Amino acid sequence: MLVLATGCVGASRQAGPEAGSGTGTITMWALQGQQPLEVAALRDVVAEFNRSGSGITVQLRLIPEADYPKTLAATRPEDMPDVAEIDGPTMSNLVYNGKLAPLEDFVSPATRANATDAILVQGTAENGRLYSLGMYDSGLGIFGNRKLLDTAGVRYPTGIDDAWTAEEFTTALRALARAAPGGKALDLSEYRGFDNEWGTYGFSPAVESAGAHLIQDGKAGGTLDSEAAVRTVQTIASWRPYVDPNTDTAAFTSGRVALSWVGHWQYPTYARALGSDLVVLPLPDFGLGTKTGQGSWAWGIGAGTHNAKAAGKFIDHLLSDRSVERITQASGAPPGTKSVLARSPLYRPGGALELFGTGLARTCGTKPVTKACVAVPRPVTAGYPTITEQFAGAFTAAYQGADARAELARAARAIDRDFADNGGYRLR
Amino acid sequence: MPDRTVRRGPRRGITGWVLSAPALSALALFLVLPLLIALWLSLFNVQLNSARPPQFVGLEQYRRIFFDPDLGAQFRQALLNNTLFALAVVPLQTTLALGVALLLNQKLRGMAVFRTCFFMPVVFPMALVAVVWRIIYARDEGGLLNAALHALTFGNFEAHDWLGDPATALASVVVLSIWHGVGFQTVIILAGLQGIPPSLYEAATVDGATRWQRFRYVTVPGLRPTLVFVTTVTTILAFRLFDQVYVLIRGGGLHAATTHTVLYDAVTIAFEGQSDVGRASAITLVFFVIVLALTLLQRALLSMERKART
Repeated sequence: MLVLATGCVGASRQAGPEAGSGTGTITMWALQGQQPLEVAALRDVVAEFNRSGSGITVQLRLIPEADYPKTLAATRPEDMPDVAEIDGPTMSNLVYNGKLAPLEDFVSPATRANATDAILVQGTAENGRLYSLGMYDSGLGIFGNRKLLDTAGVRYPTGIDDAWTAEEFTTALRALARAAPGGKALDLSEYRGFDNEWGTYGFSPAVESAGAHLIQDGKAGGTLDSEAAVRTVQTIASWRPYVDPNTDTAAFTSGRVALSWVGHWQYPTYARALGSDLVVLPLPDFGLGTKTGQGSWAWGIGAGTHNAKAAGKFIDHLLSDRSVERITQASGAPPGTKSVLARSPLYRPGGALELFGTGLARTCGTKPVTKACVAVPRPVTAGYPTITEQFAGAFTAAYQGADARAELARAARAIDRDFADNGGYRLR
Repeated sequence: MPDRTVRRGPRRGITGWVLSAPALSALALFLVLPLLIALWLSLFNVQLNSARPPQFVGLEQYRRIFFDPDLGAQFRQALLNNTLFALAVVPLQTTLALGVALLLNQKLRGMAVFRTCFFMPVVFPMALVAVVWRIIYARDEGGLLNAALHALTFGNFEAHDWLGDPATALASVVVLSIWHGVGFQTVIILAGLQGIPPSLYEAATVDGATRWQRFRYVTVPGLRPTLVFVTTVTTILAFRLFDQVYVLIRGGGLHAATTHTVLYDAVTIAFEGQSDVGRASAITLVFFVIVLALTLLQRALLSMERKART
């Protein structure tokens, strides 16, 4: 590992994409996720492309989720596959380390034009170039059990614009906990732990909703340790007595708790368990309107490819209506293309997850976060791995009872130190 | 005769080197070389697989480990956590292993079954053990430990957050580590026990020694080298604490501040988040020196005691 770390420093800049012939064999790395249906759908999509007579053969290699980020980190730019699946917020870091090639020249303009704004925001690096396109996005919200909410006499929001305030939410939790036999009201997927990407994805929107950020203008100090951020984290930590640790992952489906703060991925399970009693609600408003997360896995072209044309054609195929429909039907995720999103039974206006669709349509993008915008992308910077590690660590400690102010201040100092060590992670 | 010894001297030297060459080259390749690379890396600001060229920073990484208000405190806390863990685990685990080994040394029918039972946890991968114990330690009433205590106290026990409470976090890790590791020490001590000649026990019995006297004056001295070995190995293993802490902090709500160890820090700093190989190398080297010093001290103390006895 160490030899590798030093050995490739010099080599990384020579790698560059070659357009190639546009036919032949290309390699592809994809995530072996936890949803077998999704993996099967991806296999189908690849097999279909290989049969289509385009003259391109795609060799699919699935890599387990737990090892995937480390695999990418340990791969030299010239050894990257032609097409790689990458996690949205880590894209910028891969670009910075010279592992991805810009997509504009190889993916068709129609494909790019059909990508949703949220997907484009996620895929565009600080240098303004597009490096990734996703077949799907993600949505974060609160799922509610209508029966339990009504029994406890708790009023709940009807949409984005009348989201609970943080105080109202705390009051609701108290009422729900009193009404529940087990004394718990909320599920935060605590079984996954918060000291990982879930901590950042799940709870940084709350910080944004209070008007603070993980990082602003390349600095965490002054925003991540601000009064607004501290108060938000303290508020969430204060809910802990009402939170079911949910080690059996059945807290919401078995009716132990009335509310579950989680992503779209739980929708299929929850809908099956609760049927028409399931309601989808926005996250609480901490002052600057309700906010939600966005971003997910996406496709990029490896920097060392010798056949970028073929890789581009394959990405066109991945983002075709047929492929996107197939994958999103298998996973339940919000589609990442305009055409499929518009007719998605779940996410289009009137669908069960319309709330997530609207949130993504109202993305804050790269513009300053305002009261009106809803989905907040995680910071697009090569320093993201440090940011998420530090925030998730500080959040976890505060949730367990440590002083939120001290933890966030320390996280901000660690992020700023790492940025200073890396010259601000500026892209050349 | 003198001729022969003179001639044999240098030749024996060469043969010695030739015979030890495979082992020495393996040591050089897998021990000395990585150590030198770590030493070199610790003088640079270098990120894992980064496009940025490494920058020479001299002793800055060491300054940070020792004197930076945040990073210094983090390192000292990790050392403290390691030390507390070792102080608890080494005596407890060695004593327990001795006890279990004495029990398993009885001549009973079906003893192989009991021995297998005690050794089994050692075979389980630590990641699996940690995940199972996470369910045992769960902080709600449904947690196995909480539920058991609740039932035993007729409902008077309030659910406790074993992993998340700073007061019990490290103790929880100690218990699960001992459960997982004690079988290994037991097997070694068992082998030591079976190496003690039965004639000694017979002689002691003839002399009228009680059960306790036989244990104190035959078993313990007979086990001495084994116990020294077990203590040293357990100490080193205790300082290597990583797997269970990593699994439980990252995914189990374990209280990080009171349980993160030096190795946990080194690995997460090098391979996660910051990918800061420079600082991780410096931490590893400082830790190496500390553990080496501790082991030498332990050996010196034991040999001093041995000399005092003879």
